[in-house]
Amino acid sequence: MKRLRWLAVVFALALVVAACGGDDDTTGDTAADTTAAPGDTTAETTTTAEAAPDTTAPEAMGDAVEIRWFVGLGTGGNPEQIEAQEAVVEAFNASQDEINLVLEIVQNDVAYDTLSTQIASGNAPDIIGPVGIRGANAFNGRWLDLQPLVDASGYDLSRWTQEQVDVWRTDEGLVGLPFGVFPAMMFYNKALFDEAGLPYPPQEFGADYDGKPWNMDTVREISQFLTVDANGNDATSPDFDPDNVIQFGYVDQWSEPQRFATMFGAGSMTNDDGTPNVPSQWVDGFKWYYDGVWTDNFIPSQDYADSDLLAAGNPFDSGNVAMAHTHLWYICCLAGVADSWDLAVVPEYNGETTAALHADVFRILNTTEHPEEAFEVLTYLVGEGAPALLDVYGAMPADVTLQDAFFAKQDETYTQGVNWQVAVDSLAFPDIPSHEQDMPNFLKSQDRWGAFWSALNTTPGLDVDAEVSSLLADLETIYAEAN
Amino acid sequence: MTVEATSDAVRAPAPPKKRKKLGQTERQQRRWGFLFISPWIVGFLLFFLLPMAASLVFSFLEFDLIRPEDARFVGLENYQRWFGDPLVWESLLVTVKYAAIAIPLSLALPLGFAWLLTSKSLWGKPLFRTLFFMPTIVPFVSGVLIWSGFLNTQTGWLNQMLETIGIPGPDWLNSTVWIYPALALIGAWTVGNAMLLFIAGIQGIPVELYEAADVDGANTWHKFKSITVPMISPILFYNLVLVVIALFQYFLVPFVLKGPSGDPANSTLFYSLYFFKTAFTFNDMGYGATLAWMLFVIIMIITIVIFGTAKYWVYYEFEEV
Repeated sequence: MKRLRWLAVVFALALVVAACGGDDDTTGDTAADTTAAPGDTTAETTTTAEAAPDTTAPEAMGDAVEIRWFVGLGTGGNPEQIEAQEAVVEAFNASQDEINLVLEIVQNDVAYDTLSTQIASGNAPDIIGPVGIRGANAFNGRWLDLQPLVDASGYDLSRWTQEQVDVWRTDEGLVGLPFGVFPAMMFYNKALFDEAGLPYPPQEFGADYDGKPWNMDTVREISQFLTVDANGNDATSPDFDPDNVIQFGYVDQWSEPQRFATMFGAGSMTNDDGTPNVPSQWVDGFKWYYDGVWTDNFIPSQDYADSDLLAAGNPFDSGNVAMAHTHLWYICCLAGVADSWDLAVVPEYNGETTAALHADVFRILNTTEHPEEAFEVLTYLVGEGAPALLDVYGAMPADVTLQDAFFAKQDETYTQGVNWQVAVDSLAFPDIPSHEQDMPNFLKSQDRWGAFWSALNTTPGLDVDAEVSSLLADLETIYAEAN
Repeated sequence: MTVEATSDAVRAPAPPKKRKKLGQTERQQRRWGFLFISPWIVGFLLFFLLPMAASLVFSFLEFDLIRPEDARFVGLENYQRWFGDPLVWESLLVTVKYAAIAIPLSLALPLGFAWLLTSKSLWGKPLFRTLFFMPTIVPFVSGVLIWSGFLNTQTGWLNQMLETIGIPGPDWLNSTVWIYPALALIGAWTVGNAMLLFIAGIQGIPVELYEAADVDGANTWHKFKSITVPMISPILFYNLVLVVIALFQYFLVPFVLKGPSGDPANSTLFYSLYFFKTAFTFNDMGYGATLAWMLFVIIMIITIVIFGTAKYWVYYEFEEV
């Protein structure tokens, strides 16, 4: 009887533990399918949860300071990325015995909530990243100023240009050290251009396209020619059937309104007096885009973009889109057109060229109890650990001395001979101010921008000017809430 | 002992109740009972009662998850804001619009299936019951994603089928009108559980009632209307309560299809989605908690109203008179 009772106690405890425990699928260093796009704003990591790899020697853990590295706000959840990050952690922990670095990987779609909850509960990690500007905006006010640590440790910032470092100086101070950059470019499908008998888009800034300036009008023109319906008519033909398109000329891959509109020139979303603003060149851009979807028919509507024709959400990789405006991080996701794509420069608008820039860094939360140790880890991640991480993140090194090695590595995957110089040259045309700039009441403001963009992609017959006015009116209310 | 106590009580005013002393066996049984229900009690306290209490406290605070140190007590301000928030009423209207389609469908469809699957004339009942129940066991997120492809205007099978018979298919997922029938269709896919309950109810109806009706010359419709429906009205009632509660908590399908955006044009901004967005996208945990508690109040009121109507249309065969 006594034995039975103990068995029952053990059983009940086991039940309690099981009830309190997590799902098998979300623990450990499990990795599974993923469609993550490196770069913080569009990453869609579908699996992988908290992972605390067993990379620490038990004897070293006693006195070592624990530093938690949180991955998930941007890229970092792909199986190969997890493996590389674990290797970096292992190497760091093996290199010294003062700090025990622990890796925490959270699904991208819950990373924001997870981090918010950890901060609210006083259980925040120390290092966050890789994360871009937009991904970090929601946590503004929470970032540690690295400058005092740089000064105290004598850390050498000269490996980057002053401009590269200054990008990360905000009201909170120096919030990151340059790490990975992802300029926007025009990805194009060579096979579709060959099929249409068209020359490829230019790969040098300032170059013409077949005797015409490489601008948004030219993009519209050739995109219409490259858009084909089921009967073989292109979008310039009077017989073209927009309801049965089988190939599109252009897509703004995994787009967001500000990123797209920046092709028409950078602009600020907040006026000096604190009121919201939609730059006039952006309005031109939205009209160009909207006509492209609903009148000129060379851009897929949301319904087309979600269809199997366009790989249900990865249009360019379906092989049925001739050109895609997106960032370098998109090289993550080009299995479908693996040997048939190359890079071209972004077109100009009104004589100006703007290549929107995404940039990822590692940041330290100002709640950390061990800033010096966290900074030591951070410098390792952007230093010795950087080559391996940049490679798996698909991130072009901000440190120019690492760029050749990075591109050589990419050439092993993409053997068709991609012209990576386009990416390097694009860095000379960044969007200033950034399209990822902060806004008052950022999360709500961004949500309203998203609704605006969604309307353009899903609703025919809209008056774009009226939509912009409505957007501005709503943003005014949202901005006012923040005050 | 019990009898003695009862007879004493008749003669004299009842003395203060003494706690009954438990025997060793009873004490042992009680301990075992607590031991076996302890996982549930611990789970309930930790994962339900505690968060509920916390959320009630949050509802009186201005509380941003990212800046917990700035939290401050605002009294009933959040509740006041709730009444003046246009998105609350918009999200409730979205819920009501969808309810107008979903509630009748969620009851009529499984009832209809159950009626057909208990028909004497049907061959291979177990096979059909399995087939109709099967979608219920498909993981719902996967199911929704499959439906998303099925309803796509360009490459979805449904519109392709409609086109073969000359009907131009609507834009199911991006139209503010067609999104509701689309959601109802997806919901109709998982009526298996309700169908099983109805089947059980129909099988429990005494055959004599139908035989008597046959003698009286009742046709199939009359028998369904006058015997089947009243006899299974408790199950109908039970399903109605569940459907209404589930409707106000409706979240997964619109979230998987459209994320927290509420697209198109807020037509999928169901109340639960709005709550989620407020609390976990905008980090406004104080107002989010208020939205949650008001949802509780709304569901409670509607459930009470439904229970209040039960006496008029629910028939309990063994009800005490």
